[in-house]
Amino acid sequence: MPPSKFKQVLLISQFELKRGFATRKGLLSVVTFGVVWYFILLYPLRFVADLLVQGKGLQHDSSFLDFIGFGSLQHWPIPEFGVYWQFALLIFPMLSITVAADQTSSDRERGTLRFIVLRSSRDSLFFGRFAGMMAIQILLVGATAISVLVLVLFRDVSLFIPALPDLAVIIVNVTLAVLPFTALMAALSAKVKSARQATLWAILIWTFLAGIISGLAYYLPILDVFQYLIPGNQLSDLAQLSEWRTLQLAYIPLLQSVVLLAFGRWIMARQAL
Amino acid sequence: MTTPIIECRQLTHVYSGKPALADVTITLAAGEPIGLVGPNGAGKTTLLNILSGFLLPTSGTVRLFGYPPSSSELIGKVSALPQDARLDPSFTITEQLAFYARLQGMTKPQATLEASRVLEAVSLAEAAKEKPTALSHGMAKRVAIAQALIGKPDLILLDEPTAGLDPVNVRTIRTIIAEQSSETTFVISSHDLAELDRQCRRILLLEKGVLQSETIGFNEQQTATRFITLQMEDCPAQEVMAILQALEGVVKVTNPQKNEFIVEYNPDLQPSMDQQLMQCLSANHWQYRQLSHGKTLEEKLFFSN
Repeated sequence: MPPSKFKQVLLISQFELKRGFATRKGLLSVVTFGVVWYFILLYPLRFVADLLVQGKGLQHDSSFLDFIGFGSLQHWPIPEFGVYWQFALLIFPMLSITVAADQTSSDRERGTLRFIVLRSSRDSLFFGRFAGMMAIQILLVGATAISVLVLVLFRDVSLFIPALPDLAVIIVNVTLAVLPFTALMAALSAKVKSARQATLWAILIWTFLAGIISGLAYYLPILDVFQYLIPGNQLSDLAQLSEWRTLQLAYIPLLQSVVLLAFGRWIMARQAL
Repeated sequence: MTTPIIECRQLTHVYSGKPALADVTITLAAGEPIGLVGPNGAGKTTLLNILSGFLLPTSGTVRLFGYPPSSSELIGKVSALPQDARLDPSFTITEQLAFYARLQGMTKPQATLEASRVLEAVSLAEAAKEKPTALSHGMAKRVAIAQALIGKPDLILLDEPTAGLDPVNVRTIRTIIAEQSSETTFVISSHDLAELDRQCRRILLLEKGVLQSETIGFNEQQTATRFITLQMEDCPAQEVMAILQALEGVVKVTNPQKNEFIVEYNPDLQPSMDQQLMQCLSANHWQYRQLSHGKTLEEKLFFSN
């Protein structure tokens, strides 16, 4: 008896998790990311957070923070999370473009996907790979957020309980932020021949689409609505918000992801494997 | 009436304006292995890719056991050896085969056992913990065949299963097909006509995307004349042909290639032509390598008039 589509998606995503954390290549990537994150946490993140905690300079100059787009830093009750929020919104979407670039492309070129579609639907394959990639990123986001919590606890253990809601809201929001980027990479990966091509196309689409829509919207403001098609469009507005208010914009990445996944599924259904 | 295992209606596939398959219509029932032959670019791989669900046809319909390719009803029922497909280099052979078995609905312990079974079937049990990059071309091919055997499917589509294999492994694959053909129908695409000659009772010939003949039966009982193919050691070809031609019942003798003769004869006039030929060879002190009834598949498909 063949498994249900949901079970197929689950099996495929579990296999992707194994690829992310239990293969030599996956472990190497995780260790590299861990080392880079360690230095980000230890120096820029802790340094800025310390300044905010001590009330020196930055916190009093709110107009400067607003000017550089870090206005929400002062609204987070735990400064470390405020700084992490700004870093995470920048780092994780960028990371997504590279980490999630090879959801199906190299396996399709190698012919490995053929072995899988003999035993599962193309939909299960597409959504299973996407779900696996999201699970990997959620674990990375979770791990980095917890590392920030540890940093907070080193400063003041009594902040543990108050920090938990901020921890949750950040994990949810950063996950939502990477969702459309991962969906975009799933769609591109279903079409192009390699991860590198997918990353290049993502950067080109992201840059040119934003440029073209902005240009056209300048002359015809009604076209401004198409800005919502661009993954990450809400990030600059999101960076200005703090705590649960950040979920006000959650509908944008969710809608973008639905559109991009539908497009990717359409490509996958027609693609020669 | 039983549902045909493969049913194609006016199947056409076009690559960049060039037809790879043109209006192919076939209906195949379960049974003995079916050979799929044709020159390079004839459309064999395209046909198998469409049947396997890797490629969508430009037009026409395909049904396997009554369902379209890639239908969930076919999981575990239809399998394939895709040409040149390779396993994921990040995982061991067992991990991948067990994963495929799980996708077919097996539990974790069943999947591990099934992976071991199919690897043993292709004599590769020792490679279970290896990664695909550690395998030779021939071993990788056998692993790819092993994945096609997972769950003992009813229909297995094999694209060039023996290409690049040494004779010992060709024999292993032949044995697997022979052993499993009572419960599985194999469709085998190959350029190795001698191999197909041994394994298949039914042959599909594709040329330039067009199906030339749906089924070539090996049984020549219905025809008025029969054939014997005689492979000789070095011999005077003209003299051999002249003497064979003079034997009772012989209709025609041809010499398609060096030291090979095809004797067409009338079985009503000489029912024991093979014995008569042996006596003739012995009387003339000619050494022969092989004497076989019928024409070779190569002769039947490509050189028969």
